[in-house]
Amino acid sequence: MPGDRGREPEDADAPLPHEDALLAVRAAEGDEEAFEALVHRHAPALLRLGTRLLGSPTEAEDAVQESFVSAWRKLPEFRGDARFGTWMHRIVTNRCLNVLRSRQPVTALDSVPEPQAPEHQVSPPRAAEAHAAVADLSRAIEGLSPEQRVCWVLRELDGVPYESIAETVGISQEAVRGRVFRARRYLTEAMAGWR
Amino acid sequence: MAMNESGAPDGTSFDGPSEEELLPCGRRLAQVWELAETGGQDPHTAECPHCGEALRALRALEGVVARARDDEPRVPPWDTAALADRVMDVVRLELRPGRTLPLGEADEDAWIVEAAAARTFRAAVDTLPGVRAGSCRIEADAQEAPSSAPPPGRLPRGPARVRVEVQVGLSWNLQLVADEVRARVVGAADHELGMRIAAVDVVVTDLLDEDEDADEDADATEGRQP
Repeated sequence: MPGDRGREPEDADAPLPHEDALLAVRAAEGDEEAFEALVHRHAPALLRLGTRLLGSPTEAEDAVQESFVSAWRKLPEFRGDARFGTWMHRIVTNRCLNVLRSRQPVTALDSVPEPQAPEHQVSPPRAAEAHAAVADLSRAIEGLSPEQRVCWVLRELDGVPYESIAETVGISQEAVRGRVFRARRYLTEAMAGWR
Repeated sequence: MAMNESGAPDGTSFDGPSEEELLPCGRRLAQVWELAETGGQDPHTAECPHCGEALRALRALEGVVARARDDEPRVPPWDTAALADRVMDVVRLELRPGRTLPLGEADEDAWIVEAAAARTFRAAVDTLPGVRAGSCRIEADAQEAPSSAPPPGRLPRGPARVRVEVQVGLSWNLQLVADEVRARVVGAADHELGMRIAAVDVVVTDLLDEDEDADEDADATEGRQP
């Protein structure tokens, strides 16, 4: 499709930048319809991001909704140095990080369940086995600290470069690498039964 | 919250494994994985059973991660339209501090907020084929100094000066498009608002390839379907 030229795979449903820039300028000057169009254009990608970060579509919906409202308030200061989509990605990521931090005590109380080793199943079909491995991964991700989880999800599920993660989260690239490493270390351990 | 930083109290300290963790062969695990990620080569790692085991563990994790990504629903489970409605309900209740502009003649007391006037002007400009209005600011015309100071947050009564930025299709003659934009703004000010206009500054910010634009419009329309 000619309209797809030069898009990153992760940006498959990301709107084209000059239309976004125009809508963002209008919205910054108080045009609510322009903002509504931006919400429609960016909500699907941000909901996917929120779900990956939080592991729950319902919580992602709340986080994305709150992020859009706070973006509307901050829009007059949005100078268009970053693309609107990048700016929103950052707002949603930080909102999700706060959600993860606030629910941390609950996770610590229910201790993280031990991943089930595949031996427990009686020669399951491959598809079911794969599904079980994915389910175990989701459980294991709950055991990461909020900071590790956010860095790991952005790196491994969203394919964001270390440099951009550092910018988004507001820490050094080295710190991001450290968090991703510790997350991988923990997850390889948790998933050891699947090797 | 600080207690969570040091890991869970039951010994499952998730920040536990240090980046300095060494494999039995003396290589740092972090280094072995980083080399694998960047596609670098290390003759030692290729031979070493410990490095090999560490790499297999990483690959196995990557395999499950790839499957997890594939398992994500193709059709998103969210009702984006409902979400947008909830966002806009909040947005419309918020009062944006904005300036108020005079309407009508000098002795009248009719006013309009800048955002509403700007929206009217943008809509008028957008009726020109291949033209989209971006920023639209409205100021008091400095040529006609007011006799008395206006109320706070309001511009002095008198004709306004409009500055509008436009994206324009490549096929337009720029002088012509500036004249057309000016005419649309003055027409809308006159017929729709009853606002006196002293001048319209037109700034062309982008020249758009119209073929690309057509594709984009198709995408955008599709994206807005509930």
